[in-house]
Amino acid sequence: MSLADRSSPANVAHGMRTERTFLRFTFSQRWEHALLILSFAVLLLTGLPQKYRLAAWSQQLLASPERLTLLRTIHHIAAIVLTAEVLYHLGKGLSALARRRLSSAIFPTWQDVRDAAQMIRYLVFLSPRQPSFRKFSFEQKFTYWFFFFGIGIMVVTGFIIWFPILFTRLFPGGIIPAAKMAHSTEAIVAAIFLLIWHFYHVHLQRLNLSIFTGWLNEHDMRRHHALEYQRLTGEPAEASPAGEDD
Amino acid sequence: MGRPKTVSRLMPFGLGIGIALTLSATLASIALAQRPAAKVAPPAPSRAAAECLACHDDSTLKLTLPSGEALSLYVSADVLHASVHGELGIECQSCHPQLTGYPHPAIPFATRRELSRSYYQACERCHPDNYSMTQDSMHAQVAAAGNLDAPICTDCHGAHNVQPPDKPRTHVSQTCGQCHTSIFGAYSKSVHGSALLRDDNPDVPVCTDCHGVHNIQDPRTALFRIDSPEMCAGCHANRELMGRYGLSADVYSLYSLSWHGVDVSVYKANWPTIWHDRAVCTDCHGVHEVLPTTDPGSKVNQANLLTTCRQCHPDAGPNWTGAWTGHYQVSLQRTPFVFYTQAFYESFAPFVLWMSGVYVLLQILRATVARIRRSLR
Repeated sequence: MSLADRSSPANVAHGMRTERTFLRFTFSQRWEHALLILSFAVLLLTGLPQKYRLAAWSQQLLASPERLTLLRTIHHIAAIVLTAEVLYHLGKGLSALARRRLSSAIFPTWQDVRDAAQMIRYLVFLSPRQPSFRKFSFEQKFTYWFFFFGIGIMVVTGFIIWFPILFTRLFPGGIIPAAKMAHSTEAIVAAIFLLIWHFYHVHLQRLNLSIFTGWLNEHDMRRHHALEYQRLTGEPAEASPAGEDD
Repeated sequence: MGRPKTVSRLMPFGLGIGIALTLSATLASIALAQRPAAKVAPPAPSRAAAECLACHDDSTLKLTLPSGEALSLYVSADVLHASVHGELGIECQSCHPQLTGYPHPAIPFATRRELSRSYYQACERCHPDNYSMTQDSMHAQVAAAGNLDAPICTDCHGAHNVQPPDKPRTHVSQTCGQCHTSIFGAYSKSVHGSALLRDDNPDVPVCTDCHGVHNIQDPRTALFRIDSPEMCAGCHANRELMGRYGLSADVYSLYSLSWHGVDVSVYKANWPTIWHDRAVCTDCHGVHEVLPTTDPGSKVNQANLLTTCRQCHPDAGPNWTGAWTGHYQVSLQRTPFVFYTQAFYESFAPFVLWMSGVYVLLQILRATVARIRRSLR
């Protein structure tokens, strides 16, 4: 995360309040997230009627065999978009790793476990203070890795049930019904998790649009990423501690 | 009235209601067994019949039709009296209303078939429901298209010798087999047909259990195809019936959840008349020739399964059959991949979702308390 002081020297000179913003996500990361939202939504909307084929609402939507074919085609196109995005994401990560430039910020550490324990103590009124976070809190890391593996399962099982004959040339036949079950179940688990966990954290708890704008303001940085704020600015974040006496 | 009542009770039972048929057949045989032997003996023939038989109980009585065919006019008194109509004392004129006296009016028919196709219409007088059902049948359509060999009542039931059609039950299939010889040949070797012909098994289907009785329809239509799995389920989802033979009664419910079965259900619900190529029971198991899966000749025997799959999936490789869960419940022995996947999701999914749900609830609660405290300060 880089610090960007957007306040002009003139404003500082006039004693006006300066608002510093911090770059949280790069342009390409924001585009990746946008593609992810788009493909995830299309895949979910075209997948659910296929999972619940016997439900009345599904049959109303799929009013003819041609519509079913169309729905499947849309699902497959969205699947290719998602797969391309996954490959881009992995490729970028691997290339960064090869150049020893891969950021460790998103990888889980023991500190995350301690943070989670502290957060639970705070939530059940055993401690008055929330833990301070670096660039990514343990909640955000959990979100990332849940979808990292969830999407991995969806992509792999999706291609298995899309090309079952090809896959049974290489693997035992038993993977086909297993892939079908995993694809169908994981989709629902991921969708419910998204609604409960991710939507609460980025929409209800606080509206966090940094994944779209790329920027996080100073207040949110001090409050939610105090350690990162400290690391970038060298100033303590104590002015706005992330406790309940905010 | 015991016998004809049983027969007419059987008539409405059509497609796939093998159980009901079996039950009534069983009850009927019990009822028959309990009847004293004396009652089975023919009652005295009615006077009118006696009058007719005075001439017609003569095996040499015949005339020649314009076609050159000989038309026997012989009616055996013994056969007539042993028939269901004879037992009831039905008069000859009930079926031959045109023969009002002697001398009889001239026969206006050129051929025997013409005569039969005219005389059989008398059946409608007493059996109007079954008669009108036959007029909607595949047989009537074939006749309307010009095939006068298409069967009429008397071809299946006989004329003067009319008997209960299912005594014994094998008689039903044998009657159909008179014309449908190659299908009867295949059926005779099948698990159903062989049990019927060998043991007079009351549980296996005879032709009419699947095809219906009088209003038999073309079984090659999309509609018949889409209905066929449910027809098989009529017996194969019956736990008690399947239990007698050590067969699973879950085959249909598990098929319904399969890729094939879901598609078939959707077609059935929405587009029953659109032809579909999703596998129904008979595509894999065979139709009349259906054999136990353990029989090396069965299309779904492990040795033949890949060939059967390739009917629709021509590029399938040898591992392909492993993808088939074979109408079995998920189990470690049979379907380990599905078993472990299911075990994973049955533990992982509830754990993660409950955990995140509870965590978020705690967060909402804690944030609300924090906000209230701030506003009170």
